[in-house]
Amino acid sequence: MKMRALGAVVTFSILGGLLLGCPKDSSKPAPGTDGEGGAAPSNGRIKIAVIPKGTTHEFWKSVHAGAVKASREVDVDIVWKGPLKEDDLKAQVDVVSTFVAQGVSGIVLAPLNDTALRAPVKQAAQAKIPVVVFDSDLQGDDHVSFVATDNVAAGKLAGDHVSKLLNDKGNVVVLRYQEGSASTQNREKGFLDAVKAKPGLKVVSDNQYGGATTESAFAKGESLLLAQKAETGAVNGIFTPNESTTFGMLLALRKSNMHKKMKFVGFDASDKLVGALKEGDVDGLVVQNPFNMGYLAVKTMADHLRGKKVDKRIDTGARLVTKDNLEDPAVKEVMQPDLKKWLGE
Amino acid sequence: MSALASLRTMRRPAWLGPFVALLVVYTIFAIITPEHSFLRSQIFLTMARQSVVLAICALGMTLVIVTGGIDLSTGSLVALTTVVVAKMLKGGSSPVVAVATAVAVATAVGAFVGVCVGRFRLMPFVVTLGTMAVLRGSAIGLASEQKIDCDPRGLDHLLEASLSAPGIWIALALAALVAIVLGYTRFGRHVFAVGSNEAAARLCGIDAGRVKILVYAISSLLAGIAGVMEFSTLTVGDPTDSVGLELDVIAAVVIGGAPLAGGEGSVLGSVFGALLIIVIRTGAVHMGMPSWVQYIVTGVIIFVAVAVDSARRRRTRS
Repeated sequence: MKMRALGAVVTFSILGGLLLGCPKDSSKPAPGTDGEGGAAPSNGRIKIAVIPKGTTHEFWKSVHAGAVKASREVDVDIVWKGPLKEDDLKAQVDVVSTFVAQGVSGIVLAPLNDTALRAPVKQAAQAKIPVVVFDSDLQGDDHVSFVATDNVAAGKLAGDHVSKLLNDKGNVVVLRYQEGSASTQNREKGFLDAVKAKPGLKVVSDNQYGGATTESAFAKGESLLLAQKAETGAVNGIFTPNESTTFGMLLALRKSNMHKKMKFVGFDASDKLVGALKEGDVDGLVVQNPFNMGYLAVKTMADHLRGKKVDKRIDTGARLVTKDNLEDPAVKEVMQPDLKKWLGE
Repeated sequence: MSALASLRTMRRPAWLGPFVALLVVYTIFAIITPEHSFLRSQIFLTMARQSVVLAICALGMTLVIVTGGIDLSTGSLVALTTVVVAKMLKGGSSPVVAVATAVAVATAVGAFVGVCVGRFRLMPFVVTLGTMAVLRGSAIGLASEQKIDCDPRGLDHLLEASLSAPGIWIALALAALVAIVLGYTRFGRHVFAVGSNEAAARLCGIDAGRVKILVYAISSLLAGIAGVMEFSTLTVGDPTDSVGLELDVIAAVVIGGAPLAGGEGSVLGSVFGALLIIVIRTGAVHMGMPSWVQYIVTGVIIFVAVAVDSARRRRTRS
């Protein structure tokens, strides 16, 4: 009897300490909550739940920083809560439905799957909680707005750059990412549209897929270069639509000693890719703007909640990064946003 | 009834500890969440819905742990089930056929594990560690390395945050069924006997191998049903779903008062353990708690639960 009472007391005090410690920590903007967003007293303030696909990747940290910036500018509270495990679909479904049950003012969501999140978003709409979708699209018509990179335009950016580098003539290869991935298919489409507009450019291969990992893209890239007889100079330009295919292709070019012999434009940035850009092994990288994505997503939701009309589709912009503009302040802001300023880390 | 009464005079029921913990944690959250949003009725239903998969898996895991075994393949099996259901539905099967096939596949896997453990006397930890990897790989291969999108044909309404959805009631009925089997049947007594002293159980003429085969088959059958519920939530077949679910399930059972050594365990305790985990998870979302705090809180609760339980055990022995 005594032990049980003791146990309950121990449980209570440890838990209480941990739980109560949390809002205290977040009074300075800590990861997880912005300001006192998590534990704000009832004061009729707008409270927006922001749900990313994960919380540990650099990309989502930038989105978080942008969301915090917007929340301060338009004076709303945000709660930043991703699935406990990175990219865990079920966990994200649960987080959305918990926020719906809690009754937040609005939900800003980057869906991990374009069909599985339909049901919880519909549930939110029925509970009169508006949803803004960002980063990746969602099927159905229950969300207020879709805030993301216009991937066709971003692909076109890459296509125009390759044309310029090749003076509008030569043979071009595209190593696609994966079947059924909408964002990369749109980038590939934008690139091909831009390239096909130039009669001097010929697309010699656009039906190979690099697959999900760097390893698979590396293997595919290697055999693609061999099949197209790239070593004889039969390929002049290459485009890859995401980080893994870009890195895989870079490795394949380096291994067969063909880097610098052709113009190579990739997508997304990582430290290694930026390094390759500086060395001249990559001639351009198209990068998205996650900071702006987080910023616009929260701002759009706040506008909607305050009765302003918002667009169904909002482009958060993409930017071409080359060796020459790497040091531009505008490019630097996209590549390395000041996370410290917004997240206090 | 007299059996229950004599149990009570022996010591307090095993489920009381997790029940008290559940109440305490819930009360803390109810007090500290902003605007007392934790008290909304919709929250109860949402938490009930979210507990279903974990609780159904915990029922089977309780049986396994009572025999002194462990099953690490639960998460992979749930993922495989969602993939099988989605694949069958996409191929044009009726929902009934798809569900029956998926649950049958899961049960067959469990029977196989049971034979390895019960007849060939292999370590359950190692057998299910292997099964976990094989099933995960099978799920990913079967789904061609992507999520399977299909028309759920009504299966999406199986489990919803509503009293009219059958999912929550099915989970409750299964819990009652397993509790009765474990507490009031000969098979249930054999499960306890094998778990507390297998050699003695064999000397008494109990076919320990057969008991284990049945236990793992039932456990996997339940994981299959949980997988169908998971599909109902996801509406897609997701081969990467539920990675690490087995650890949450084991945590639920351990919080529920079953020592991993076997021979003891309570179905009701495991259900409370599952509810406790979901309450923490829901509370974490309400508070906008960062993931790392959530991990630590869950871990501390497991520690405390086990510490209190072992103290209780020492006291009753002395």
